[in-house]
Amino acid sequence: MNILVTVLLACGLIIFTGGAVGILRFPDFYSRLHPAGKLDTMGLFMSMLAAALYTLEDLSLNAVLTSIKILLILVFVFITSPTATHAIMDAGVRADLAPWTKGERGSAQ
Amino acid sequence: MKKAGLVIVLFFGGLLVYGTLDFPDWGDPTSPASLHVSPRYIEKTLEETTVPNMVTAILADYRGFDTLFETVVIFSAGLACFFLLRTRRKAPGTRHYRHRPTGIVLHIEKGGRLPDDSTEFERIDSLWVPHDLIIKATCRLIIPFIQLFALYVIAHGHHSPGGGFQGGVIFGAAFILYAVTHDLREGLQRLGERTTYAMCSIGVFIYAGVGTLCLFFRKNFLDYSALAAVLGVDPATARSHGILMVEIGVGIAVMAVMFAIYCNLSSVGKQDEGL
Repeated sequence: MNILVTVLLACGLIIFTGGAVGILRFPDFYSRLHPAGKLDTMGLFMSMLAAALYTLEDLSLNAVLTSIKILLILVFVFITSPTATHAIMDAGVRADLAPWTKGERGSAQ
Repeated sequence: MKKAGLVIVLFFGGLLVYGTLDFPDWGDPTSPASLHVSPRYIEKTLEETTVPNMVTAILADYRGFDTLFETVVIFSAGLACFFLLRTRRKAPGTRHYRHRPTGIVLHIEKGGRLPDDSTEFERIDSLWVPHDLIIKATCRLIIPFIQLFALYVIAHGHHSPGGGFQGGVIFGAAFILYAVTHDLREGLQRLGERTTYAMCSIGVFIYAGVGTLCLFFRKNFLDYSALAAVLGVDPATARSHGILMVEIGVGIAVMAVMFAIYCNLSSVGKQDEGL
């Protein structure tokens, strides 16, 4: 059980790191939202799953309730995070922000 | 003049910093606060109020006056926003109406209007987002859960972190989310302006009213153990119930003030077209 929790936590941290690097390295607003939206959701999925499993170690009613609460966080993040990314993206398009194209160098803001 | 101001600020700032030198260190077990007050709270809270969460008991019972006036501060913040920003509609501006079947938008100048119950035309904001189906659907799904969670935070403040202020803010955020994703007019249809301000004062009134009720039973203001006779429980449980009543009042006031401040700020006081 502990090994599974550790592996899940490590995967989550790697994905979070990838997301952070992506936000810093990608050239413009739209492509930066891509790691911000996707990798954060996935990293949270991994680390929350690890936390839920970890609380289940001693099987009691309290532990089960706590891990159900943690899983509920996951469900709501899976619903809201893509919607938030969609809304931010939509705001960028409506504010006439031009996407970065291959010819330009560096950051396009 | 500026230099004189700077000198005065530096002087008094220096005095304040000098004053902090005499403070006891963080977590110093021999400081007066840790010697007399804290041990009493730690030992007696559960016995006297039957509330497991010490922070809630101290906040709403032992220091009830402090929290009462915190609520009044929030209430006055809402009032200040109202008096500074709210304007009467003087010169009616342009209104935008969208014809539903064709999508044509009419601009009507200088206060002209179409009937509000028209089935063919809907009134839209000047900054109107055409494709918001995803966002609206998500909010329809998520808002009930936000409100349920807010009630949970208020009601569960006795056992876990939470209470009236936090729950009220979450509840207000649910209404603000509704007003952001639909528009301000639809938000105000759900929770009207008059209702909002009435709820601001009702929240403070519940708090002060519970305190005053204690006076009628020959106890001090905000000493909830006086309510034991009314509630039919022993004095310690009555204090726990009194804390819950007070937290509900705080929650109502905070929720209404949040929504009132949002409505005034987002529409520059006109409460006509929001963000």
